[in-house]
Amino acid sequence: MSGTDYNYDEQGQFFPYFILTMTSLVTIPVTYSWLKPSKELENTATRINSDFNPEHADLIDGQRKKQKRRERRFKRMLTSLGGWLVIAGMIYLIIVTTQAEMKIYDPYEVLGISRSSSEKEIKSRYRKLSLTLHPDKAREDPAQNITKETINDHWVEVSKAFKALTDEDIRENWLKYGNPDGKQSFSIGIALPKWIVTEGHGKYVLLMYAIALGVILPYTVGKWWYGTQKLTKEKILITSAGKLFREYDNEQGESGVIGTLSSADEYNEVLKGPKAEQGLSKLESRVLAESSPIPAVLTTKDRQKLEDLDDSRRRKVLTLLWAYLGRIELDEPALNDEKYEVAPIALKLNEAYTSIALAYGSTRAVLSAYHTSQNIIQAVRPGASALEQLPHFTPEIAAAAEAERSKTHLTVQEFMRLPVQERKARVVKPGLLTEAQFQQASAIASQIPVLNVERAFFKVVGERFVTPSSLVQFVVKGRFIPPGAAGIPQVKPADLEDIDPEEGDLSALRKDDKAGEKPIQPPLAHAPYYARDHAPKWHIFLADSKQGKVAVPPFSFSTFDKPILDDAGKLTYNVQTLKMQFGAPPQPGTYTFVMYMVCDSYLGMDTKMEVTLVVEDASKAEEVDEDDEISEPDEDTIAGQMRALKSGEVPGSKPKKRRTDNDDSSDGSDTEGDVESESETDTDTDEE
Amino acid sequence: MWPFDIVDWLMLAVPIAYLFVLIGSLAVFSSLYRKRKAASAASLEPWFPPHLQRNVYMSLLHMENPKVPDSILKAALLRRATEDIHRIVQVRNAKQALQVLLQRGSVGDDLWKRFQRAEKEIEEELRDVVSEANAFAPNWGQTIFQSASEMAQNTHIRERLNDILSTSQSEKEWWEKRKATIQSEFMKELDDEKEASVVSPVKGSDDDAVLVEGGGPADSLKGKKKKGKN
Repeated sequence: MSGTDYNYDEQGQFFPYFILTMTSLVTIPVTYSWLKPSKELENTATRINSDFNPEHADLIDGQRKKQKRRERRFKRMLTSLGGWLVIAGMIYLIIVTTQAEMKIYDPYEVLGISRSSSEKEIKSRYRKLSLTLHPDKAREDPAQNITKETINDHWVEVSKAFKALTDEDIRENWLKYGNPDGKQSFSIGIALPKWIVTEGHGKYVLLMYAIALGVILPYTVGKWWYGTQKLTKEKILITSAGKLFREYDNEQGESGVIGTLSSADEYNEVLKGPKAEQGLSKLESRVLAESSPIPAVLTTKDRQKLEDLDDSRRRKVLTLLWAYLGRIELDEPALNDEKYEVAPIALKLNEAYTSIALAYGSTRAVLSAYHTSQNIIQAVRPGASALEQLPHFTPEIAAAAEAERSKTHLTVQEFMRLPVQERKARVVKPGLLTEAQFQQASAIASQIPVLNVERAFFKVVGERFVTPSSLVQFVVKGRFIPPGAAGIPQVKPADLEDIDPEEGDLSALRKDDKAGEKPIQPPLAHAPYYARDHAPKWHIFLADSKQGKVAVPPFSFSTFDKPILDDAGKLTYNVQTLKMQFGAPPQPGTYTFVMYMVCDSYLGMDTKMEVTLVVEDASKAEEVDEDDEISEPDEDTIAGQMRALKSGEVPGSKPKKRRTDNDDSSDGSDTEGDVESESETDTDTDEE
Repeated sequence: MWPFDIVDWLMLAVPIAYLFVLIGSLAVFSSLYRKRKAASAASLEPWFPPHLQRNVYMSLLHMENPKVPDSILKAALLRRATEDIHRIVQVRNAKQALQVLLQRGSVGDDLWKRFQRAEKEIEEELRDVVSEANAFAPNWGQTIFQSASEMAQNTHIRERLNDILSTSQSEKEWWEKRKATIQSEFMKELDDEKEASVVSPVKGSDDDAVLVEGGGPADSLKGKKKKGKN
């Protein structure tokens, strides 16, 4: 290659190829990511059939559309469109540019005869051409730009072509190197137009370099870096996270959580400039009026806090949140719109609040956070009846439906368990609900997915005992039973077992993976007032009731392994399996936990259940089942080491587990949603 | 002069200027950077609000004319110690959670810095209180926080109690209302039954049964009444 010149792309012939490749490298992935259907749960789930339109449905829909627009990825669209334009332009250039240079040397073409011609024909053709083209014969013709030179050159070409077809040596040259003269000099082209390197343009090129490396690169990197620095893991502003942490209090209930959520900076986007104060006095008089349900919810402390707030923006946010939770009509469209806009922000902040509560580990605070999520999604104030999640149910109607006038509220399930006549008698009255409204509410109530726990137990995969420090699986078996469902089939006992796949049964393991690939989603939460689509999640966690602390942090489930509805849209009552893993305590003994299962979207569907984990002493399982002896891992293998770590014993000395059932009792569950009091669970633990 | 005329001053100026620009820009950058860092550290919000009890104690201590009696100063110091107890409990509770959150990236570094500053502050504050206490009476410093924490506990319990007691009024009202409705419902039921028995007199044995049934709710009513009065 040495001694060869680099040719710049003077005709602009390769440059388009270069640009084309570079642009398509960017454009094609960007286009893909722009057009790819979103895999978010919110976009793939089914919906609960509902023709209920709440008040201000237009405002709520407006908020939904606003969010859709925000998600539409305008930048990607512009980038890919621009990219495709460039690609089209380059293709046009490629087509237009002549490719004379690229012709393969072909002696037949030079002589102007067909490829099948015999040697004789070639010779006669050559003789014929020599009569007209030989420099001695051909005439110069300045008019047609034919000079002596061109005639000579052409003749050389012709005779070369003739020799290439007749002379052995030259023919070989042609076949080997594509040219009758033999090996040609090797040339390398650079697909850059020559104007880039011509004198005088150097400074512009340098300037481009300087801009690219000195301005654009640092700017993009800086923007990315500071962008990530500004947000926490929960995608809220760092400053907001700090404020939430400062305002966090283990003791505060749901109304306190709402107060804390109002401290964040995220609302500044919504309440910009003059909006921060507009209508505040009207808003406050509405929300704190005697007739509104909110003052009854606020504790004196919360009320004091609200009145002491100096920051008018925060004050407005908090009052808007209460207006949203109390479903209070604010008369002004702008205020109503803001009311619906703050709720999704509050829910996002509540996620961050939940993680703070989990870091503190207080059961009460975690439950308050989860209940706040339910309240926000359903637009129901804390302490209100769960029946208010149903369409048309106002506090008065809910009170009429409860009839008993006790201090605790009926859940939707309990209400739907009443006979239809009874239900109707309570709420279908002049001034309450009409028949049609009642039917609509019942229809929606009977579609709400309530996860009913059938069994919950602990196990260790492949072992019969739970041994100290082993990796325990907490298995929850449950069925979706909507409120008021009739004709529920009995649970098959086999469905409640969780059988490990045989050791080495790869197909079973693979089947497990496959189940993970195509999960079943419950329908989106029926939340007519909440201006976003929300896929419901179920959180399961174990708590230590004596200390009021979370023992095993929550696992969240938004998809399930078996279909909830069959093809005809009927309920299948399949038993769903939910599994969570954690490390067993290092000491053998009996541990009693309280299992909480909380759905983040619907009120009054929490499950609280006592579960007992029996950890057996590793040495208690002495007997070795010889038949079952699978080669014990050697001390010096990794498997052996792992085993030693797991059991906390010297490998080899530890025998196999005896095959007996480890029985984990699951005492009575209450689905009352009454999770505040834990005294009852304290007394129960003594039985063990 | 000999060595100076052969020096090309212009050419010599070039590297010197280069060095000057280089070092100068680095120096400017470092000073700006440090100033900004100091400013951002200074602008961190304090973790706790102003320490009111400490300020009260300080102003009492520095009052010259008339001199504040020792007993009042001691009381003020105890109040200050109680507030310190509140703060130290908060700091202790928050520390672990904050560490976890910081590791997970759920809170920012600024919060952690603020927290550490608060921690240091509270340490200094405790030391100060101990030395002040020792100035009043030898060895009081060792016990002042014990008494302070008892005081804090006491106030906490009293607050809780007040909270619970404050609901009693509304609970009572609710119960009175409920009682009234239950009573009126039973009365109505009894009246209905009486009417029914008057309209259609039935055989003796059945009548007895009705009477017994009628007595049931009335008994329970009495019991409830008693409960309500207690």
